[in-house]
Amino acid sequence: MSLVIALDIGGTFTDLVAFDLASGSILQAKSSTTPHDLAIGIRETLLKSGLAIDSADTFIHGSTVAINTAIERTGARTALLTTKGMRDVYAIGRGNRPESYNFLFQRPEPYVPRRHTFEIIERLNATGEVIIALDEAGAEATASRLSDFKIEAVAVCFIHSWRNPDHEARVGDILRAVAPDIQMSLSHEILREYREYERTSTTVLNAYVGPRVSKYIGDLETLLEGLGFRGQLLIMQSNGGSMSPSTAKRIPVATMESGPVGGIIAAAETARGLGIADLIAFDMGGTTAKVSLVRDNQPDIAQGYFVGGVGGGHPVMLPVVDIVEVGAGGGSIAWLDEDGALKVGPRSAGGHPGPVCYGRGGVEPTVTDANVALERIGAGKFLGGEMPLDVAAARAAIETKIARPLGMSVNEAALGIVRIAIAEMSLAVRSVSIGRGHDPRDFSMVAFGGAGPVHAAAIARELHVPKLIIPRAPGHYSALGMLLADNRHDYVRTYYKALEDSDFHEIESIFSELTHEAGELLASEGTPPEAIHFQRYLDMRYSGQEFPIQTALDASQLESHDRGIIRSAFDRAHKKRFGHQAVDEPVEIVNLRLTAAGQRERSKFPEIVQGAEGSVAGYRDVVFDDPDHPIRCAIFDRENLYAGQAIDGPAVIAEYASTTLLPPGCRLTVAATGDLVIEISSS
Amino acid sequence: MTTKAQLDPVTLEVLRNALPAIAADMATDLQRTSYNMMIYEVQDYCCALLDADGRLICQNIGGVSHFVADLGVVIKDAVARYGKDGFRPGDVLIMNHQRVAGQHLNNVCVYTPCFFDGVLEGFAIVRAHWADIGGMSTGTSAPGLVSDPWMEGLQLDQIKIYDAGVADEKVLRIIRDNIRFQEASMGDLRSQIAACNMATRRFDELFARYGREVILGAIEHIFDETERRCRRRVAAIPDGIYEADSFLDADTPDKTNVIPIRVKVIVKGEIMTIDLTGCSMQRKSGINGRTLAGAYIAYKGLTGPLDNVNEGSFRALEVEIQEGNFMMARYPAPMAAWSRGLPTVVDTILKALAPALPDRIPAAHMGNLGGSLTFYGVDPMTNKPYVLQTIEGGGWGGRPYEDGVSTCVSVCQGDVRNSPVETIELKAPVIVERRALRENSGGAGEFRGGLGIETRMTNLREGKWSLSNAGRRQCPPWGIAGGQAGQASVNYMRKPDEHDLKPFDPVRMQSEPGSSVMVATAGGGGWGDPLDRAIEAVQRDVADELVTIESAAKLYGAVIDPASGRVDIGATTKLRHDMRLARATSEATP
Repeated sequence: MSLVIALDIGGTFTDLVAFDLASGSILQAKSSTTPHDLAIGIRETLLKSGLAIDSADTFIHGSTVAINTAIERTGARTALLTTKGMRDVYAIGRGNRPESYNFLFQRPEPYVPRRHTFEIIERLNATGEVIIALDEAGAEATASRLSDFKIEAVAVCFIHSWRNPDHEARVGDILRAVAPDIQMSLSHEILREYREYERTSTTVLNAYVGPRVSKYIGDLETLLEGLGFRGQLLIMQSNGGSMSPSTAKRIPVATMESGPVGGIIAAAETARGLGIADLIAFDMGGTTAKVSLVRDNQPDIAQGYFVGGVGGGHPVMLPVVDIVEVGAGGGSIAWLDEDGALKVGPRSAGGHPGPVCYGRGGVEPTVTDANVALERIGAGKFLGGEMPLDVAAARAAIETKIARPLGMSVNEAALGIVRIAIAEMSLAVRSVSIGRGHDPRDFSMVAFGGAGPVHAAAIARELHVPKLIIPRAPGHYSALGMLLADNRHDYVRTYYKALEDSDFHEIESIFSELTHEAGELLASEGTPPEAIHFQRYLDMRYSGQEFPIQTALDASQLESHDRGIIRSAFDRAHKKRFGHQAVDEPVEIVNLRLTAAGQRERSKFPEIVQGAEGSVAGYRDVVFDDPDHPIRCAIFDRENLYAGQAIDGPAVIAEYASTTLLPPGCRLTVAATGDLVIEISSS
Repeated sequence: MTTKAQLDPVTLEVLRNALPAIAADMATDLQRTSYNMMIYEVQDYCCALLDADGRLICQNIGGVSHFVADLGVVIKDAVARYGKDGFRPGDVLIMNHQRVAGQHLNNVCVYTPCFFDGVLEGFAIVRAHWADIGGMSTGTSAPGLVSDPWMEGLQLDQIKIYDAGVADEKVLRIIRDNIRFQEASMGDLRSQIAACNMATRRFDELFARYGREVILGAIEHIFDETERRCRRRVAAIPDGIYEADSFLDADTPDKTNVIPIRVKVIVKGEIMTIDLTGCSMQRKSGINGRTLAGAYIAYKGLTGPLDNVNEGSFRALEVEIQEGNFMMARYPAPMAAWSRGLPTVVDTILKALAPALPDRIPAAHMGNLGGSLTFYGVDPMTNKPYVLQTIEGGGWGGRPYEDGVSTCVSVCQGDVRNSPVETIELKAPVIVERRALRENSGGAGEFRGGLGIETRMTNLREGKWSLSNAGRRQCPPWGIAGGQAGQASVNYMRKPDEHDLKPFDPVRMQSEPGSSVMVATAGGGGWGDPLDRAIEAVQRDVADELVTIESAAKLYGAVIDPASGRVDIGATTKLRHDMRLARATSEATP
């Protein structure tokens, strides 16, 4: 018996997907999230699923505890130890004001106040040489004072510790000896990349969320143990991989943005199953839409982000699946601004009270209401008929709030709301594709999330994406994706040198140090040696530029010591990304990066039954592009479709938690895997 | 979809978002590919689309605020010179001439015409600060050094560098041969052209998709609604004539010759008039420019700081300024330090409006463009020149409801970032000994001014230091509503054979290894009476060592026990009472 369970805690629901490797069956369960004590919801979902937890091999968990702790500021009382002279690096930040015309701009509140920031006498230079020795006695004195301030967690970040971690490590020893109860985060153990403010911020966040995340993981281990679980627990990371509970307790900040990554991993794997390598993952839920680019079945990764928004947020310089998010979801509210201009979002009716058509007290028309008014979403079969939708109420809200003030018909207004949401999401798709040098015509789109499949064809058409895939279970896709995630760890080491002057022996020796460290970690997490894969990258740039481009290189390219090969790989990457290259400019290396993946056994989902024609469940007049002329079209139940079946638009495919809209001129084919593959016509 | 080319609210909203997205994408492209720190770190650039009449369709937000809506004059001049039929697809033009552009010559505009169906529909333009443009243009901001534009650098007056896609290699060679850091600047030129080309393509796609009539109609509509919104916000300000004055430091050795800034703001219904005619006439020093930015930045902050910028943003604003004013100087006045006075102009406009908007107007901020440290030289190992520059922010004024922000760049700078210590030390042979909050620098007030910064460095090899006097030392950031002024900025230097740092402003100063410099930026002014400051706030400031125990007593009347760090409430009440009494007495007996 081999059972893999994935459990994803979202803002509204706790989702479970389990896969039985032996029988090939999939099981799903859902309960409400219990924010005050997440364990209650987890327990409830597990019990509701009726699974034999004691026979499960693997339990994969994604949670929002870290990000919520940071945003709600409910973390530990944290201290920061810095190099003497640099006490205020964290408070000063980069001194910028992203809201340039706002003379009342406010900076984000630091997680550590100045009175809990302590200087330690020590200093390294940029080549890692000691220019001021570590004052061990002073460090000990500071460590012993931390309890006076009731400190629960401590971050240590010294200047140039990315180059030479000795001083930080030694202070770590001192802290362990003097203040063993205080959880500690040393910057070099989290990232070894230059830029002290960003590294400090990352380390401080790690310390700040650490005790709470550790306790949460500990509680989860106890809970699972109590239910008889004997397998391996894995925790999802922001980089799209998973890790062991002990690694998660050490680097909790790496779980910060793990929420949305499951769906993107699932999209990459769904596409792989269909023989597609390059895709745009499009996830539209209740509050926002998220877009990610996947190339060669690997999600694009960004090397950092801001917690709390780019404008006034705290930088975290750890790899994260690169997601562009816009405030357009099914629950996004349509409204008229003070000038009477029609706007959609970013305010959302969320799950409570939700759209007007839910009949739970929502009064402001949303994108979902517009789709219901246009008959795109069927009122009777929402959530399998558990929750009938109030079409009349949706139409009335659109009429009073939007249509009448603008002198439009209800259908015109509803279609307008949908078009504005689609335009906004298209800009997001554009920015991850065209904006990064990729032509959307070379990509397929995989659309999921409850609201994704009803809008995706219009977005694909807008950007000339030729093929659209609606995977199975688009409403549970995030948990499904967790079943498919590899164990993954990322390493960075700043190595700042002109390519011309770089020392390949040194580069190789750093890489071998990193592969050794990564291999040991993966082994300790139970990955067998043959499942371990490494990918090496050099972050390079033209001399004088600031932002490097991560250039993938294989070990043999590095072993060749051929600067020409490395340089032209970089030139090509630059040309691809920015449309121009500078083959005569000197190139410099900034960072070495290593990604270590421990491949897990892939869950292979069962195929669906072959057949020519699934029966039509009914017919409905649906508004596509012309508000005055709805088109009578066939409605299909997804569960009744056969593999190999083809449907020509216009048509609607309804399923438990989502609806797929197939516009006129598009053709849908049901793949053997059960995924819907839609060819997008150009008009 | 309906085929008639109508301007429906939906298309309008789509275009409202799509147009600014083009300018934002230009900025992203430029920033990630540029070669000089002034662009990628300081973000000293702006990107915009203008229509064929030079009206602003959209501009990126985030870079440098004093570039707000200032590209129209460049395009209007280009159209006047070449005629609307004087451009062809594939043209690229370059412009920094002060006759029209009115800024220091490093700010180089590069633009391309946009066509649809053979008709000129607009221009994509990027203005960016080049590391050098010849002459004395590297690291200029010291107003006394450059006495005319020829001395400052290379003047490029609406020159076509590409004619219908064909590069004019001779012009490019002249530019290249007459500037320092050729690789960086020519690389920036490439990035500027690439950003313009991208915007031209995107603009063309929109025309193809929605049609000429719809796009042009939408643009007019967006201008109108932007204007209406600004008018409404001005209408909410009580009518009146509001005046304030301040001054910039003397720009001559004779320290009494200060530069007066007198502003008058007239609010009448929906119209605001900002009268700058009382400000100094043009000077012999490089403080001059041709810019409305002082008035524009203040107005923008008052009427919709988070809204997109377009031609409508300033149509309901009247700016009174005469030819020959130092901000409307006649060519060839020296303009090397053109933006230096602007933060003070903005602050003075806000100060004038404080009585009208008592719940919104903060006390003065540091009032200059920040503490700038520059070190440059030639690496003896590689024989390559290097330049290190960082701009250190200062304190902002206390607000009617909270303390001012510490260590931020000025109101003229948006997303301008300092250079990290580790970057500085990787790139140049220096050690940064200290980057710290400048204790006690924030002006006392019920809501304290933000703190300045102290950044200290020592060079390990010979090179040249420049820490120019950023100004506003004679007129430190003022308080409002009884708040006190913040500490003014100071630069320091210590030669290797000296013991202490001494106030000094090195300019391109050849410096022996082991020379130390320190910039200390100003603190913001305080808002409200310091004796009204909550005692918990004073106690917290003392615990955080932002304010010393002595200052807590002297400025805030708060008595804090050094051992416990707690406020002695009884003693504080008495001290505050005595201080108020003493104040009343001294006011009664002048």
